[in-house]
Amino acid sequence: MRSNRMGWGLLAPTLIILGIMGLLPFFYVLVVGFFDWNVVSATGKPIWTGANNFRRLVFDPNFLGAMSRTLLFTVTVVVSELVLGFVLAQALVKEFPGKSFFRTIHALPLMVAPIAVGATWRLMTVPGFGIAPYYLDRWFGIDYNIGRYAEHAFATTILMDVWHWTPFVTLTMLAGLSALPKEPMEQALVDGANRWQVLRHLTLPMMMPVIITTTFIRLMDALRVVDEVYLLTGGGPGDSTRFIGIHIWRVVMTWTDYGYGSAVSLLVYYFTLVLCWLLFIALTQIGRQQE
Amino acid sequence: MTLITLLPIYWLFVVSARTRVELFGRPTLLQTSFYIDNYLKPLSTPAFQRYLTNSLIVATSNALLVAVLAVLATYALSRWKLGGSDSIFFWLITNRMAPAAAFILPLYLLFTRAFRLGDATLYDTRIGLILLYCLFNLPFAIWLMKGMMDGIPIELDEAAFVDGASTWTVLTRIIVPLAGPGIAVTVILSWVFAWNEYLFAASLTSVQARTITTGLAEFVTVTGTNWGEMAAVSFISLLPALIFLAFVQRYIVMGLTFGAVKE
Amino acid sequence: MFRWNRVLGFVIVLSMLLTACAAPAAPAAPAAPAAEEAAAEEAAPAEAESWWAEAGAPYAGVTIRGISESTPPSRYSAEVLGQMFTEATGINVEFEVTSWDEMYNKPIRDMEANTGIYDFVYIEQDHIYSYLSRDFLTDISALLAEHPELQSPDFDFGKFTSFIDNFKQDGGIYGVPMEAFIKPYLYRADLFADPDIQAAFQEQYGYELAPATNHDQYRDIAEFFTAYGEENDLELWGTTVQGHTGHPSATYELVETILPTFGVYNWGINLDTWKACVENGGEMNSDKAKEGFAFWLDMLQYAPPEATSSTWDEVAATFAAGRAAQGWVYGENAAWIATDADRSVVIGNVGVANPPVAEGVIADAESGAGYIGYYDGGAFGIPYSSKNKEAALLWVQFIGQESVQADWAAAGARIVMESTFDDPLIVEIDQKVSGYYTLMREAGPLYRGAAPLPFHNTLRGNIDTFIWQALAGEIDAATALDGACVAAEETMLQLGYGE
Repeated sequence: MRSNRMGWGLLAPTLIILGIMGLLPFFYVLVVGFFDWNVVSATGKPIWTGANNFRRLVFDPNFLGAMSRTLLFTVTVVVSELVLGFVLAQALVKEFPGKSFFRTIHALPLMVAPIAVGATWRLMTVPGFGIAPYYLDRWFGIDYNIGRYAEHAFATTILMDVWHWTPFVTLTMLAGLSALPKEPMEQALVDGANRWQVLRHLTLPMMMPVIITTTFIRLMDALRVVDEVYLLTGGGPGDSTRFIGIHIWRVVMTWTDYGYGSAVSLLVYYFTLVLCWLLFIALTQIGRQQE
Repeated sequence: MTLITLLPIYWLFVVSARTRVELFGRPTLLQTSFYIDNYLKPLSTPAFQRYLTNSLIVATSNALLVAVLAVLATYALSRWKLGGSDSIFFWLITNRMAPAAAFILPLYLLFTRAFRLGDATLYDTRIGLILLYCLFNLPFAIWLMKGMMDGIPIELDEAAFVDGASTWTVLTRIIVPLAGPGIAVTVILSWVFAWNEYLFAASLTSVQARTITTGLAEFVTVTGTNWGEMAAVSFISLLPALIFLAFVQRYIVMGLTFGAVKE
Repeated sequence: MFRWNRVLGFVIVLSMLLTACAAPAAPAAPAAPAAEEAAAEEAAPAEAESWWAEAGAPYAGVTIRGISESTPPSRYSAEVLGQMFTEATGINVEFEVTSWDEMYNKPIRDMEANTGIYDFVYIEQDHIYSYLSRDFLTDISALLAEHPELQSPDFDFGKFTSFIDNFKQDGGIYGVPMEAFIKPYLYRADLFADPDIQAAFQEQYGYELAPATNHDQYRDIAEFFTAYGEENDLELWGTTVQGHTGHPSATYELVETILPTFGVYNWGINLDTWKACVENGGEMNSDKAKEGFAFWLDMLQYAPPEATSSTWDEVAATFAAGRAAQGWVYGENAAWIATDADRSVVIGNVGVANPPVAEGVIADAESGAGYIGYYDGGAFGIPYSSKNKEAALLWVQFIGQESVQADWAAAGARIVMESTFDDPLIVEIDQKVSGYYTLMREAGPLYRGAAPLPFHNTLRGNIDTFIWQALAGEIDAATALDGACVAAEETMLQLGYGE
């Protein structure tokens, strides 16, 4: 019949491009992680240092702090976006007047470049000039200052990310929902099930692949967030919004410490991998149970 | 809900309509005057026109490339039991897991050293960016479409083959139409990602292949960020995305009934 | 129907890819009719013109590429001077104008990997040391000696202000200055001259209201005006603070602007032993430094709410919006704050003076042991990895000519040559910017650039967090400096400096 060659042939371009753009740099970073290399060190050249970078990492409070912050951020953000996105998708999949208009509007935040998102939110929230602190103070008497209060800054980054990325979830859910067959749901409703049961036992299981994919993508992206937060707070106040992406950026760009930066990146990469793997197993188990 | 969604964008628009002096006065929600210069100045600068064109070309080319490759790849993964395909599948998605900053250096070296044809390198080229963005968009596309591809019953293929169709025909006549929503979402999301990407675009382009997002970063200087113009350019860069979305949107929701055999 | 879509789609993809693959568009000529006019008006005497054409002849058609920041002086050199240069020599100039971050990252990568992408780079005064320690730059004076035929008659290293000393090492000169500013003390001349305000101040504090000359006066003035703003329901505070709790500008204000006025120089780092803590011979956590830091933190209460979100950007904007009565503001901003009606509401009301200092600091500055403030600026240098060094050599001389300095100064408020101070155009502008240029000329030698740290960014990156946390109120000044000096020493040790 159709030989395996055809299969590989179809897959080949993808593998080649990704291999070159992804695998090669990965090996480079892997190797550099074992060197002590800083552009402005006395020698400026890479020096073999074995697993020293990794050892340093484990006890580095900067790194650990950034990781824990990032985790908290990611979990909050991904869960919020999934729930919100799903609800919105449910609302938008129905037929109603002006449906296209609303769909387009709700997809808008996604279209804005991350640095523009950071810039816009910064302008909105900068004390003294921004509308948020101004009106919060005038109407509610709240002293909202993201430069001063760590909690305010952290909460704002979460809000910003949810605002920016929920449309992503909405869109993918929308595609998933609209590709679902209608008959099983209608049949179930006719058979006397209520909406909630239909949702839980029919819609969600059938949407599992899409939900899994979306969760993964959001998880990975949230763990790597840089541009938006960097423009909003620079990682501040202090280091309260310095997520791991920003930490690595600082190490590699500001400190020009390529060796250490590579090591950190590798560890984060590995960590993300493990996390996703676990999640993958968990979700597919749930998916299997539903069947 | 819609209001909250719109507020920051509204604010973006308001900022773009203000002069620099107004921006730093007492904040107000409503805007009466419109400082059109914020829009005219960047639009009339040839450099910015070039940035917009570059962004358009890169984003669209990448989106289409990704769509095509993803369809081929997921079809292959779904229909054939290729050795190690599960690992490949998982490896694909890991490309998106790595934090970006550390990978700039090796990619830079790759672009400037590894790919050389005489004096030409991949550095500061649009094709370089297009290929690079595949790194992020392809895995996502493949993951998204694999589910949909799996959902298209293989019986349809078989039926077509029995009727003497070639693989190409099966792909174009059966698979693509049925996977419509998936392809549409892939295209739009890849496009948006490529359009908005900043980090790699800034590091791997110089003057020729500059995109609009890197142009945005130019506004932030030591002598004062020109928020007004920056907002204006941000707003302008929103528009193509919007148009593209509106166009692709109707493909996302196509009331297809599953299991219908189109013959 | 679908087939058409596919064909169309395919055609589009193909054409896109072909366009993308097509040879990059010719370097975008900085299209500006104004620039051509300026070039015509700037028509150097015939002999000079022909010298450039002759010298550039062997390199005509070559394109040199450079990178700089998107500030007015850089833009002027890219748009106006670049155009003039191309017309004079036939050498094309491709200018990459980019953000402050990328302006460092990209040349460093280029020079480190020896990829020869840039033929001239912007070297900020505080980064020259990093570049020199890695031999990244070409010795321009040596290159000139090797190529006497490329020595422009209009170019003379001796004409530059003392700022050029920052770019010299071991007898070589590694950069041609293109911009320089001092960071003075700015104050609201109108408020200070108001008789009612003067009377109220005199009554409350017992001396005349005048630009602060020491820290106590500064504090009094800050306190006074903050209260004044409150009482009269104005959006006015007593001082600016460049205290963004997540941006390097805050660290810079502390170590480059505030600490020197308390007598702590070079960031408190002992440049011989590469130590920072008092116990090891440094000064970063000395009592003077802690006093200075505490003073600065104290000023937060008299600063507008955006202080903890203010980089150099917002500080300038704050002052220009009339929200502060005094402050330390970078010179390049002083000019537009005083004159540009599109961006400032305090035009004509800006006063410029030397910063307030503690006892003994002026003496230190005069003797050369210390300084009273920050001398900012940058130069164009030629990377060692450049493939068109000779063409770039012509370029850096071109922008270093005496004849182009005045108009450039008018456009970007920067002066790097002694003679520019005397130029009638500058003298005229000087009045409008409240004598900033006069101050720069007379008091310039009392200011200094950043300490000669070859690991500038890395070190600063390691002490940033402590400063930010102190600004956010999480730790106090003393704890911050104690932590910072330890981090600094660790960093230096790791980089191979010090024992």
